[in-house]
Amino acid sequence: MIELKNITKKYEINKNNTITALKNINIKIGEGELVIIKGSSGSGKSTLLSLIAALSKPTSGEVIVDSKRISKLPDNFASDFRQNNIGFIFQKYNLINSLSVRDNIILPLIPMNLNIDVLNTKLQNVIKMFHIEHKENVLVKNLSGGEQQRVAIARANINSPKIILADEPTANLDEKLSLAFIEILKELKFQGKTIIIATHDPLFFNFNIVDKEIKIYQGSIS
Amino acid sequence: MLLTPEVLTLSILNVLFVIFATIAFVLSVKIYLNWDMNSTNQKQYQLEKYSFLNAIVIKYIFFIKIPLFLFFIFTLDKISNILTGAMCSAGVIDATEYGTYLIVLKILNLYLFAYWLKLHQQDKKDEKQLYTKLKFGIYIALYLFFMVEIALEGIMFYSIDINKLVSCCSSIYSSSSTSAISTIFSLNTKILLSIFYGNFFLIIIFYFFKNRYLFALSNIIFIVTALITLIAFFGTYIYELPSHHCPLCFLKSEYNYIGYLIYLLLFIGTFYGLSVALLKKSRKNYKISLIFNSLYVILLSLIIIVYYIKNGVLL
Amino acid sequence: MSSKINIYLVEYAINSLLRQKHKTFFITIILTILIFLLSSVFLITNSIKHELNATLKSLPEIIVQKSKAGRHYDIDIDMADNLLNITGVKSAIPRVWGYYYFYNSKTNFSIVGIDEYEEQYKDTLEKIATTLDFSKDSMLIGKGVNRIMSKNYYKEYFNFIKPDGSIKKMEISGVFSADTELESNDMIVMSINNAREIFDMPSAHATDIVVKIPNVDEIATIAQKIKQQYPDTKVITKDDLKISYQNIFNYKSGLFLALFIISLFTFFIIIYDKLSGLSSEEKREVGVLKAIGWRVEDVLKAKFYEGFIVSFFAYLLGLLLSFAFVYIFQAPLLKNIFIGYSELKPSFELPFVFDIQTLALIFFLSVPIYIAATIIPSWRSATLEADEVIR
Ligand SMILES: Nc1ncnc2c1ncn2[C@@H]1O[C@H](COP(=O)(O)OP(=O)(O)OP(=O)(O)O)[C@@H](O)[C@H]1O
Ligand SMILES: [Mg+2]
Repeated sequence: MIELKNITKKYEINKNNTITALKNINIKIGEGELVIIKGSSGSGKSTLLSLIAALSKPTSGEVIVDSKRISKLPDNFASDFRQNNIGFIFQKYNLINSLSVRDNIILPLIPMNLNIDVLNTKLQNVIKMFHIEHKENVLVKNLSGGEQQRVAIARANINSPKIILADEPTANLDEKLSLAFIEILKELKFQGKTIIIATHDPLFFNFNIVDKEIKIYQGSIS
Repeated sequence: MLLTPEVLTLSILNVLFVIFATIAFVLSVKIYLNWDMNSTNQKQYQLEKYSFLNAIVIKYIFFIKIPLFLFFIFTLDKISNILTGAMCSAGVIDATEYGTYLIVLKILNLYLFAYWLKLHQQDKKDEKQLYTKLKFGIYIALYLFFMVEIALEGIMFYSIDINKLVSCCSSIYSSSSTSAISTIFSLNTKILLSIFYGNFFLIIIFYFFKNRYLFALSNIIFIVTALITLIAFFGTYIYELPSHHCPLCFLKSEYNYIGYLIYLLLFIGTFYGLSVALLKKSRKNYKISLIFNSLYVILLSLIIIVYYIKNGVLL
Repeated sequence: MSSKINIYLVEYAINSLLRQKHKTFFITIILTILIFLLSSVFLITNSIKHELNATLKSLPEIIVQKSKAGRHYDIDIDMADNLLNITGVKSAIPRVWGYYYFYNSKTNFSIVGIDEYEEQYKDTLEKIATTLDFSKDSMLIGKGVNRIMSKNYYKEYFNFIKPDGSIKKMEISGVFSADTELESNDMIVMSINNAREIFDMPSAHATDIVVKIPNVDEIATIAQKIKQQYPDTKVITKDDLKISYQNIFNYKSGLFLALFIISLFTFFIIIYDKLSGLSSEEKREVGVLKAIGWRVEDVLKAKFYEGFIVSFFAYLLGLLLSFAFVYIFQAPLLKNIFIGYSELKPSFELPFVFDIQTLALIFFLSVPIYIAATIIPSWRSATLEADEVIR
C-alpha cells in the first residue's frame, strides 16, 4: 500500500527562486492496483514517481509504503528500498548499449553479490517471462526497439518487486509495440503487482485494466 | 636533513593526506554543526552527500596508512644503514627527540582510525543514523591528532643529522641506560611474567562474564604488559641473546619478519577488546578479541618452549 | 559494508573501462610511462649500489694518504712499517695505483701494481697475483679494458706513454674477471715496478697505504691515532666511503624523484580533469544504477575497482617493462645519467638485484596517488541527483 500525505515538492533554482513542482498532494494506492497519472508536460508526473521511488525527498509531507516512511530514509536505505520493492521502467529504456542483454538485466542484482546459481535462476525467470531468452548474449544496441523495451521490463522485474513504476513507457513506441506493452502490463497486474504509470497516452483507456486515474494540473490533483 | 627516496615518498603521501584530511575536516565541521536528520531542505541533502565523501576519504587514508606504517618502519631500517651507530630502526627513532612520540602517536592514530571505521559501520546500520554527528565530531579530534603526527614526521626527518653518532638499540634498551624504558629491566622477570599471564587470565574471565568495561580495561592494561614483557623477556628469546632488548629488530628479515605477526595479533586482539566498550557490544567483537589475544600469548609462549626444547636451558 | 569482494561489481568495472576505451587507454599509457621511468631509475641505482657495496666490502678498513696543500701526494713506503706498530693493526700495505688516460678511446683505465712477495690487500688480487708472470713486462686486464684495447688493435701488447713521452710496451698475458664488474672492468694489473715506471714514481714511494684492522670497533680509534701521529695525512675509513657513496646516490635519485613529483602532479591534474568532466552518457548511467537500487557506496566501489584495476595494471606493466629495459637491454641512455663519468670509463653490466622495498616504494608512488585523484570525481558522480534521469 502506497500513501502520499500532504506532499509538497519545491525545487530551489537559486536563492530567490523556487519552483513548486507538487502542492499538497494526497494519494492512496492499494495493493495490486494499476494507476495512471495523467497531466500535461511539466505538471509534476515524473516528480511524483521519483518521490514514490525515494529517489528524491519531499519538501514537506510523507510518503508511506507498506507502513514504512520512505520520505525520511537516508540514501542507503532508500537504495535498499528500491532494490527490494521497486521496478523502474524508463521512457528511453535507459539500457547500457554496449552491454549484452544478460548484463543489462542483472544490473540491479550486482550490489547484492548473490550466488551465481541464484542469480541465473532469477535471470532465466525474467528472460523467459518476457520472451528474450534467444537474445541473452546479444548486445543491446543490436536489438530492435520492442526487444529493448522487453529487456528494460525484464530488468525492472528481475528482483520480483511489488511495485512497478513507469514513466511515459509508450512515448517512444509505435502503436503495435504499445499494444504489446499493454499485454505485458496485463500479465504483471495478473501477478498482483502494484503498477503506477505516468503517461498521457490515451491508448491505456481502451482497455479496462486501469483501476484509478489521477490527473495532475500544475502540481495539484485536479 | 634526510632526503632519501623513501622519505620523499612518505612526504608526498603525507601532503596528499593533509589535503584530503583537511577537506574532510572542513566538511565534518559543517556536518557537526548543521546535521539535522528531520530537515528536508537542500542544505541537509548536501550534508548527506558530504558525509559520503568524508567516509571514503577517511577509509582511503586508513587503508593506505596500514601498509604505509610498515613502509615507514622499513624506511627507518634503511636509514639506520646511513646513520653511524644505528643497527635498526630503534636507533633512528632515538636519533631525534621526536622519534618516540611519533611512533606512539602513529600507533594511537591507527587505533583511532580503526575505531572511527567501526563507529561508521555501526552508524550505517541504523535508519536513524544516530552516530553521524558523533562520528564526525570524533573525526575533528582525530584530524588534529593526525596533523600533529604528520608534522612530527616531517620535523623528525628534517632534524635527523647524518653526521651525528646515534645509539644502537642494544644501548637504548639496556639496563645501564638512563631512559625510562630501562627501568623495566630493574623489575623482576618472574613478577612481570605473572602479571602478563595473570592479565591474560583476567581477559578470559571477563570474556565469560561478558562485562564490557572490565573486558576493555583488561585489554588496555594488556597492551602495556604485553609490550613490557615483549621487550624485557620474550624479545630476548627471539634474538636468542639475553642482552638484546629491542622491540623493533625482530621486524627485520633476519627474524623472518616475525615482529609484524606479533604486533598484528596484539593490535587486532586489543582493538576489538576496546571496541567492546566503545561501541555496541557484540559477541563477534568479544570473540575476535579473545582469539587474537590468545594467539598472541600462544605464539610468544611457543617461542620460549621451542627455545627450551632446542637448547635445553632458558636464557 | 561487506568486505567480501563482489565479482559482479569487478566485472561491471572492467566492462565500464572497456566501454571507455580511449580514456582508459590514454590514462593507462601515461601512468605506465611514468611508472616505467621511475622504476627504471630505481633499478639502475639499486644495481649500482649493489655493485658499490660489494666493492666496498672488499675495501680495506683504513686508507692513509699523504696530503700536501690539500692535494693528494705520493706517500713514503717506510710509513707502512711505522703504522704496523700501532696496536690493533694487522697489516699495512703500500699500494701503487692510478688512472691512465687512453687518448684514442677517451677512457680511463685504472692501473694497479702488485708486489710478488707481499701480501695482497684484496682477495681478488691474491688470485690474480698467482697468474701474473713477474719476470716479464706483462699485465692482466679486465674485460672492459680488453674490449677497448682489441677495438684499437692491441691484441697482444699495449704501448703506454710515460709522462716523459717515451713508450713502455707491456704484453697482455690474460683477461680476468672479479667478483664485481664495477671494480674489475676498467682494471689493469701489473707488477708494482712497472706501475711505478708508467706513473713515473720514485721507487720508495707509493700512492697510499691500506691498513687492515680485524676488530671493527677499533677502526675509529686507530684512525684518530694515525691522524694525530701524522698530521700531514688524510685518513679515510671504510664507513666514510660507504656513507658518502650512499649519499651521492640518494641525492641523485632524490633529484630525479623531485622531477617525478612534478610530472606526477601534472598527471594528477589531468586525471582529475578527465574524470570530473562527466559526459551526459555517464551521468545517465549512474542515475539509472541508483534508480534500480544501487547505493552510493556501490557506485563508489565500482569506481574504486576501476581506478585500482587501471593503476595496478599500469604498475605491473611499467615494472615489467623497466625490468626488461634495465636488465635485458642494459638501460640505454638512462644508465649514463647515473654512472655520470661513463664516458670516461669502460661500460659495465648492471647486475640483477631484486628488492621488495623498491617495489613497495614504486607502488606507493603510483597506485594510491592515482586513486586519490579519482576520489572526488567518483564521489561527484555517485551522488548525482538520480531523479534527473527519469525525466
Ligand atoms: N531538478 C529540478 N530542478 C528544478 N526544477 C525541476 C527539477 N525537476 C523538475 N523540475 C520542475 O518541476 C516541474 C515538474 O516537472 P516534472 O518533470 O515532474 O514534469 P512532468 O509532468 O514529468 O513533465 P513531462 O510530461 O514533460 O515529463 C517542472 O516545471 C520542472 O521544470
Ligand atoms: Mg516526466
